[in-house]
Amino acid sequence: MSDFAITALLVAALFLLLGTGVWIGLALVGVAFVGMELFTTRPVGDAMAVTVWGSASSWTLTALPLFIWMGEILFRTRLSEDMFRGLAPWMERLPGRLLHTNIIGCAIFAAVSGSSAATCATIGKMTLPELAARGYPEGKVVGTLAGAGTLGLLIPPSIIMIVYGVTAEVSIARLFIAGVVPGLLLGALFMSYVIVWALLNPGRIPRPETRTTLAQKLSASRNLIPVVLLILAVLGSIYTGIATATEAAAFGVVGSLAVSAAQRSLTWDTFRDSLLGATRLYCMIALILAGASFLTLAMGYIGLPRHLAEWIGSLGLGQFWLLMALMVFFIVLGCFLDGISMVVLTMGVLLPTVQKAGIDLIWFGIFVVLVVEMAQITPPVGFNLFVLQGMTKRQITWIARQTLPMFYLMTAAVLLIYLVPELVTWLPRQMMSK
Amino acid sequence: MRAALDRIYDGAGWLAAVFMVGTLVFVSLGVLGRLLHFHVRGTDAYAGYCMAASGFLALAYTLRRNEHIRVTLLLNHVPPRLRHALDLWCHGVAVALAGILAFYSARLVWHSHAFNDISTGNDATPLWIPQLGMALGTALLFVAVIDALVRLARAGPQRDAGAAPARVE
Repeated sequence: MSDFAITALLVAALFLLLGTGVWIGLALVGVAFVGMELFTTRPVGDAMAVTVWGSASSWTLTALPLFIWMGEILFRTRLSEDMFRGLAPWMERLPGRLLHTNIIGCAIFAAVSGSSAATCATIGKMTLPELAARGYPEGKVVGTLAGAGTLGLLIPPSIIMIVYGVTAEVSIARLFIAGVVPGLLLGALFMSYVIVWALLNPGRIPRPETRTTLAQKLSASRNLIPVVLLILAVLGSIYTGIATATEAAAFGVVGSLAVSAAQRSLTWDTFRDSLLGATRLYCMIALILAGASFLTLAMGYIGLPRHLAEWIGSLGLGQFWLLMALMVFFIVLGCFLDGISMVVLTMGVLLPTVQKAGIDLIWFGIFVVLVVEMAQITPPVGFNLFVLQGMTKRQITWIARQTLPMFYLMTAAVLLIYLVPELVTWLPRQMMSK
Repeated sequence: MRAALDRIYDGAGWLAAVFMVGTLVFVSLGVLGRLLHFHVRGTDAYAGYCMAASGFLALAYTLRRNEHIRVTLLLNHVPPRLRHALDLWCHGVAVALAGILAFYSARLVWHSHAFNDISTGNDATPLWIPQLGMALGTALLFVAVIDALVRLARAGPQRDAGAAPARVE
């Protein structure tokens, strides 16, 4: 059978299983099993068990459950209230005023959480009702929240970066550090947009509330100090090389338990809920990863990634058009798959192509995270949109329309990191020279 | 029967949670050991085993809580009877695949034991011991998907499908 026919058959099988609603992790196992059974002579089942065991018990992956747990603990604290109260007084003078609490709040929470849906939900829990009560235009509130929520993936720690790092076998610590500058850049783009919009539409933003003195501002922000310290400790230990990503994650769990205890939010109930919640969320991802590791093995035996790399190489696309094609491909794929499934499903096949085109794998990781973020806010499947749909009871299409400007800004961010790759590579290089 | 099965899934979920704490403990031990200059052998490997046990043991419990992710686009947009048929197909496929996973996981444990497979790390653990978690977890998943299939078949077409929870990423 020709390569093309094999590929077509496997892709069709995959789409059939995924599309009809088979659990994603199991669907990957199914396609891998069929592919290997048909096109190789290896003992399939035993190879599967060994591969799945190896990937499920690998040391590099241990950062994943721990960072998930850390996010689940902080999600159950008073952090979102503290964040709003602490940030709001500082934003009153900026055009767009409290809309910026969405963006900065998300950026800060992103630095303790690896998930964009959790970031969106945590910040939105407080800002949505508070901004609505003050008369801010709902469309802008929802749009900036959905957009800024995606910072959860880009600003470390990031679940999807761990998944990419394990799949592509690049350093998770370096990926994390590489995400910092693009994350801040994207946040700045969002804020500039709000400022410009507010200047062009005076009167749409409510008047500022009573002026506060510097002392009052500082006093309102004091509850944020523990979280900021936690961020500095987790990211600082990774950056300076004191700790690996996994060790920083363990530190993060202990630190967020301490933050939670200091706020008196730590009870047996919240501890149990965070632990069981993290166990389930990790298990869900673990099943996808197990399926993906087996699928990658099967694809390797069949030789698909190598052939794909050769074929795309022969097209002579050049880096730019290759990346543009991948961007469109991911956004289309993101129309019905979540980000993690997208990454694990495609990386095993795509990486040889990417390497062959001479693209740095750390840079490519950040590119993929940005593009996956864009897919997170495009319907019909976009987790941030789902979260906001649950919180606002609005139609998903309406939410998506409000988020569209953020989507364009993200496209701009992708172009920026393409034109100036140092935005991504500079900071991790500083770290390596230590 | 129903209550007993649910208790087993929940129990396995709690056991998975304990292994999650175990992952934290072994990673922390490794860090503390380095900082305070004592050495516990194989903490990295033990953390990995705990993580694996946690992931596998929670499979059935997570399925029961409807938190394994699937593409529900089509399922949510077809009439109830068709959705029921489609869902039966999904569960059927899941039974077959979970069965394969469970069978070969058990075989892996047996092979590791028979060939006396030892971890290549400095923990030198006989691998069949940590692999037991994988065998037990996938076996429970197999039971849980059969259980879900039976429940689904008995319930017949429903007007309102459970929406997938949106909490990933």
